[in-house]
Amino acid sequence: MVFLILYSTLAMIDVHSFKRTMPVTDKEVALSERIEAFLAELKRGGSGAGTLRGSGETARETTALLRRITGQAQWSSAGDLMEIIRKEGRRMMATQPSETTVGNMVRRVLKIIREEYARLRGSSEVTDQQESLHQLLTSGGLSEENFGQHFKDLRANVIEAINELLTELEATTDHIAMQALEHIHSNEVIMTIGRSRTVEAFLKDAALKRKFHVIVAECAPFCQGHEMATSLSEAGIETTVIADAAIFAVMSRVNKVIIGTQTVLANGGLRAVNGTHTLALAARHHSTPLIVCAPMFKLSPQFHNEEDTFHKFVSPHEVLPFTEGEILSKVNVYCPVFDYVPPELITLFISNIGGNAPSYTYRLMSELYHPEDHEL
Amino acid sequence: VNKSLLVKYFRTQISQDPDVASAAAAIRSLLEFLKRDQSETLLGLRENLTEAIRRLGEADSSVAVSSGGELFLRFITLTSLEHLDFSQSKNLLVERGELFLNKISLSRNKVAKLCHTFIKDGAKILTHSSSRVVLKVLENAAADKKRFSVYVTESQPDSAGKLMAEKLRRLNIPVTVILDAAVGYIMEKVNLVIVGAEGVVESGGIINKIGTYQLAVCSKAHNKPFYVVAESFKFVRLFPLNQQDVPAQFKYKADILKTAEDLDKEHPMIDYTPPSLITLLFTDLGVLTPSAVSDELIKIYL
Repeated sequence: MVFLILYSTLAMIDVHSFKRTMPVTDKEVALSERIEAFLAELKRGGSGAGTLRGSGETARETTALLRRITGQAQWSSAGDLMEIIRKEGRRMMATQPSETTVGNMVRRVLKIIREEYARLRGSSEVTDQQESLHQLLTSGGLSEENFGQHFKDLRANVIEAINELLTELEATTDHIAMQALEHIHSNEVIMTIGRSRTVEAFLKDAALKRKFHVIVAECAPFCQGHEMATSLSEAGIETTVIADAAIFAVMSRVNKVIIGTQTVLANGGLRAVNGTHTLALAARHHSTPLIVCAPMFKLSPQFHNEEDTFHKFVSPHEVLPFTEGEILSKVNVYCPVFDYVPPELITLFISNIGGNAPSYTYRLMSELYHPEDHEL
Repeated sequence: VNKSLLVKYFRTQISQDPDVASAAAAIRSLLEFLKRDQSETLLGLRENLTEAIRRLGEADSSVAVSSGGELFLRFITLTSLEHLDFSQSKNLLVERGELFLNKISLSRNKVAKLCHTFIKDGAKILTHSSSRVVLKVLENAAADKKRFSVYVTESQPDSAGKLMAEKLRRLNIPVTVILDAAVGYIMEKVNLVIVGAEGVVESGGIINKIGTYQLAVCSKAHNKPFYVVAESFKFVRLFPLNQQDVPAQFKYKADILKTAEDLDKEHPMIDYTPPSLITLLFTDLGVLTPSAVSDELIKIYL
């Protein structure tokens, strides 16, 4: 008898905990399915060598997913929402650490939530919460902000702000391309490496009004430079493809180097496709300006010290195919995807909000992200 | 209130807790002075405090004490206008002062937490003279089970490097003391350079023990990263353009300033390192590039 009661209470407890962890409503099921689908795509693809997804698309999809989470998940205060978003953000970042745009979008949304909360609460500015000597001196213990208050309008406001972010994301390439005429002049020789959609749009926009010549370094072993050259020549631009080893030899004839990048790091350095550091050093040697076209969503609060997540290695068969079986047992073959370019080698960043020097990166970061979100 | 009592209090603070930053000890002494002060008006209080800071500067002429004092004075003027009643204001000031002291005692830990991830396994680190913040950073890295070795310059004329080496040996970190002149010789073996700072100036450069500038030039020539670790209360409103621009009161020890006839014949104790030689600054406000320092300074001294 006692045994029966015990068993039934245990069964009830089990059901309750089961109910709490499994999504109950259809909406929640649909939401978690979407998240799982996104994670699977991230794991499979990523930008660059994998499937066709560019970082712009990744950024847009991440933001759309975060908007869904804001709209559909269960939360009552800003603190809860931030916790949910952080949790999902961490999961997404862990799936594909080299895809930094996911983390960047999560941090943007967290900043949006903080701002909307501060606005509803009526506090003077979000800068109240930023670390500064001023804040150390005058805060008087207010710095423990726990975002616990409930506001009815918070959900709608946050969703509206995320929509604005999405509109901004859609227009980034156009805003960058609009600035092309200021930087490219007639009869110039421009060098670029690999394939960047941003640089492609930039050059095509300038080609509408000016005549210039482009040299594309093929960027072995993935040789995306070939696709870039084909696409540019279809737009009527005179293009030449060179091997990476010829970069230094040709550099003396080049007026400007314009490149894209995968990420812009917090110190103004780049994580770009392999071969970019070589290009940057050759440009520095010849005093050729190096211009980086990078939209704001690529700006990440990381530094290049994080060894585990900085480099990404792919299958070495691009470098040395498996058919060379005899040699393979005697050598180590690596195929890194990214390069670090230090900020001293870069002349200018062109982003959707205009041109900036690399030393100004810290300021842009403080406007986009909150310091507490740097470590998710 | 007796000024010599103040100096004595300051000296006991330093001797009781050798680990405390000199600026923090100065601020604690000034807070104590504030509590015991008898003036009836805000202006009187401010005058007394200015005099007290000047006296402290005579006792210990380092940049850190001066910046700590100025920060404290600034902080008084920022918080004092909210209450009409003077005694209420004063209580509020004392309360805020205690809070400020608590916060800055945590700043060294924050800096160490940020910096130790930049130390990789197997790294060879070069540091200069004795800095408590660098010690904390290395302590954190060692606690994180990283294996690294340290070279410390002897740092004459006071051989502070030997003290640093002793402290590091106690933490079981392999350390070698090198001559100040051997910096160029050792630089090719080193992976990164970490130094502390007595003051961080507006341009993003630093004022530190003599020999730091040499170290920075050498590391730039060898392309090694040069990291500076400093708490935020060391930011000062100075903008030296070269070595001669650094005010004489900081360059020499307090007793030499009083007794020397010709300062040109004395050996300076500090030098200025320009921001172009510094890779990154680790502060409790975050990891900053040298260009970000002036922004932070503007935020306080608006």
